[in-house]
Amino acid sequence: MSDFIDYRDRAPRPTKPIDDGGGESDEGPRRPKVEKPSTDDILKRMKKVDPNQARRYRQRTGQ
Amino acid sequence: MRRICGVETEYGIQVDGVDNMDVVVESMELIRCYLHQDFVAIWNYALENPRLDMRGFEVDELRDDVDETLHLQKDRQRQIPLKDLKSDLIIHNGARLYNDHTHPEFSTPECYGLHDLVAVDRAGEQILLQCAKERTATRGEGVVRLYKNNTDFEGHSYGCHENFLLSREIPFQQVIDGLLPFVVTRQIFAGAGKVGVEQDSRASAATYQLAQRADFFEVIASVDTMHRRPLVNTRDEPHADADRYRRLHLIIGDANMCEYATALKVGSAALAIDLLEAGELPTCELADPIGALKEISRDESRHWTVVLAAGRTSSALEIQTDIMMAAQRLFKGRDKETDWILDEWRGTLEALARDPQELIGRLDWVTKKWLLDAFAESEGLDWEKPADRTWLQSQDLEYHNIDPAEGLYSMLEQQGQVERIVTEEDVLRAMVDPPRDTRAYFRGTSLQKFSNEVRSLNWDSIEFSVGGGSRVVDLKGCVDEQTAAYYNEALDAATSVEDLLQRLAVASGQPPETGGAQ
Repeated sequence: MSDFIDYRDRAPRPTKPIDDGGGESDEGPRRPKVEKPSTDDILKRMKKVDPNQARRYRQRTGQ
Repeated sequence: MRRICGVETEYGIQVDGVDNMDVVVESMELIRCYLHQDFVAIWNYALENPRLDMRGFEVDELRDDVDETLHLQKDRQRQIPLKDLKSDLIIHNGARLYNDHTHPEFSTPECYGLHDLVAVDRAGEQILLQCAKERTATRGEGVVRLYKNNTDFEGHSYGCHENFLLSREIPFQQVIDGLLPFVVTRQIFAGAGKVGVEQDSRASAATYQLAQRADFFEVIASVDTMHRRPLVNTRDEPHADADRYRRLHLIIGDANMCEYATALKVGSAALAIDLLEAGELPTCELADPIGALKEISRDESRHWTVVLAAGRTSSALEIQTDIMMAAQRLFKGRDKETDWILDEWRGTLEALARDPQELIGRLDWVTKKWLLDAFAESEGLDWEKPADRTWLQSQDLEYHNIDPAEGLYSMLEQQGQVERIVTEEDVLRAMVDPPRDTRAYFRGTSLQKFSNEVRSLNWDSIEFSVGGGSRVVDLKGCVDEQTAAYYNEALDAATSVEDLLQRLAVASGQPPETGGAQ
């Protein structure tokens, strides 16, 4: 577990990057623009959330 | 990155479908669901003193807020011993799992690197999720849900604290002054996002904030953590040689769902501390650090302007960029993980300046806002209407639900719409195996190998039963790589506790660092 693995090779990107011609430059790395992910399925799940869930959710103070 | 660090996360707990849930009992019982046998208290509280202040004094007591003071008065009538209430467990991966003020808490083991830290932070979610499912099955009614967030939207906050070991040579006031601008402005990428404002009737309730915790800080430095929370906690518990080290206990951060945000939050802090120790941390003095913290969090224009003590204005982005550039100059090329932090820190700041939506799937506040806006649009909700806002707060809460069958963040992750830093295999391994290169390995492996002989333990010592008495292995000195490697190798080779103690004694040329027979 302690071996470092290059994150860039392993991490799936949110969506396929769109090459904006940026990349490495003297000003430092520029992040490619990404398409916004799809929301269709998650909106269905969000619609099922009880509108009053946050009102029922009461906690005691922690640290 | 090579600095010992760890993260403590207090989870929110809810039992749906049950009236009058007793959160004290519920949190205690949930922790015990980790066990397959009766709870035995082995955590050693003797070396803990949270009242000791790094500024050179000790307070009589830690303060609670008004609500909590009333709760505690009732708790004292329960006749449940404190050790039972807390139900402190040390588990095989070296982490501490316990009930902290009615919140199930997972404290990661000590890690040197971000990869290990992120993996074990996620492992903590999985361990607590298992406990919640077990508790749901055993309690007979209701569904136990856990939330990795920091607020109940009604003024009650609970923490996600970071810990960093640093040199004691730097005067503590210098630590406070040096790091304040960094910790106040870090929320522009580390904030978890929150619908609404708490504890301030002047602010618009419809505000979407960067940070969950910004509303709850009132002073710059204090030993308290539950009342008048400080930007820099002054508790003096280094869990190491107090003559050589401090433990920086940062209580200001949010609990992040995005692995990328966790890595950048902790990684950038580690580099800021590196700069501080090197005497190269860019300095600036904020005119009003507490006010700036709240203003940045609530600034929906995303200009994040701050006023400096000198009278001129700057911005959170400029302050972070100055610190990041100083780290680039000093640490670029030092190691792969440092380079990752530097590249991503820079890229994130640039993206924030261009268009924060480029960071969907990486930063929590951006990802959550994108989800909430999409939902508000699809349902025709109005952020200004209280009923609509409550529904948005419910969505905010569900973003942090750690059950993958329900949580909104989890769904994005399952869909591959967020950036992963570790694999599922890494997380599964981190649920069981301690980081190999810190004393956490010695702690966790001692429990795996010699569980019957471990009489008590805490972060910096283990007491073994030996020959009718006991011997304490002091781990305070075991915070550098060489010493940790030596202890861990001795443990790997040992066939018994006696053998282990002998190996440690032989190498040091003297009796092992122990408290002696008792």
